[in-house]
Amino acid sequence: MRIVISSHPRLLNVLRSVVKYRAQQAGFPESDVDWLAMAIDEAAANVIRHAYKNSHEGKLALIIQAFPDRMEFILEDWAPKVNPEKVKPRPLDEVRPGGLGTFFMHSFMDSCCFDDNFDAGNRLIMVKYLPRKASGSDESTSQKS
Amino acid sequence: MKVLVRKVDLVSILDCSGDVDLYSSPDLREKLLGEMKSGAPNVLINMTEVTYIDSSGIATLVEALQLSRQKQTHFGLFGLRNNARSVLELARLHKVFALFDNEKEALEKISTIQPFAGL
Repeated sequence: MRIVISSHPRLLNVLRSVVKYRAQQAGFPESDVDWLAMAIDEAAANVIRHAYKNSHEGKLALIIQAFPDRMEFILEDWAPKVNPEKVKPRPLDEVRPGGLGTFFMHSFMDSCCFDDNFDAGNRLIMVKYLPRKASGSDESTSQKS
Repeated sequence: MKVLVRKVDLVSILDCSGDVDLYSSPDLREKLLGEMKSGAPNVLINMTEVTYIDSSGIATLVEALQLSRQKQTHFGLFGLRNNARSVLELARLHKVFALFDNEKEALEKISTIQPFAGL
């Protein structure tokens, strides 16, 4: 599944809804579904704020792939390359506004990394594994996108 | 998201509803900081109907908290749903904000809030 939106924060709720729907279909528990939607929301918000510098003229693509054991979320943009060193989670010791988005992304996802081979812009690949289930349980986890 | 401001005696209450995200948090920020800058001595946010809050919403709350410390006024939140409370806990901010279960408790206790030394 691939969804493309303009870089307008008004559309973040669309991404959240799509992620929730797909995560529910894939068999994630309700608590994980909310966290996953937030992680993708934070990733997309970072693109809008930092890669596109709040311009609404850009595009974002979210590719969602469901596998038997995990979901992969690939977020692409066509903004200038960001420095991955500048989008690392900050320490929580300081109480200050800002800088928590990346922390939330890394907290909820099992892995989160940039694809250096995507030359057109930035490609962030996020992976979340399904909780282990007893054999023969929910067949929806085997759905593919 | 909607933000409505009302007064109960010397307390300003911002009733928020809906999702607080990158799109809507600037509106909350404007109303919240505007209320504080206008000299309100006690400000509470009613989170009962807040269905989602992201890092931009959290940043707005932290900014308001810092302003309240500067101005030596009182600031708190009440009625948080589980998801909003979990977000604050993950960011280790649940002990930084004054959190109350409901409006009654918040109105009774807001004037007793002590400044947080870490700010």
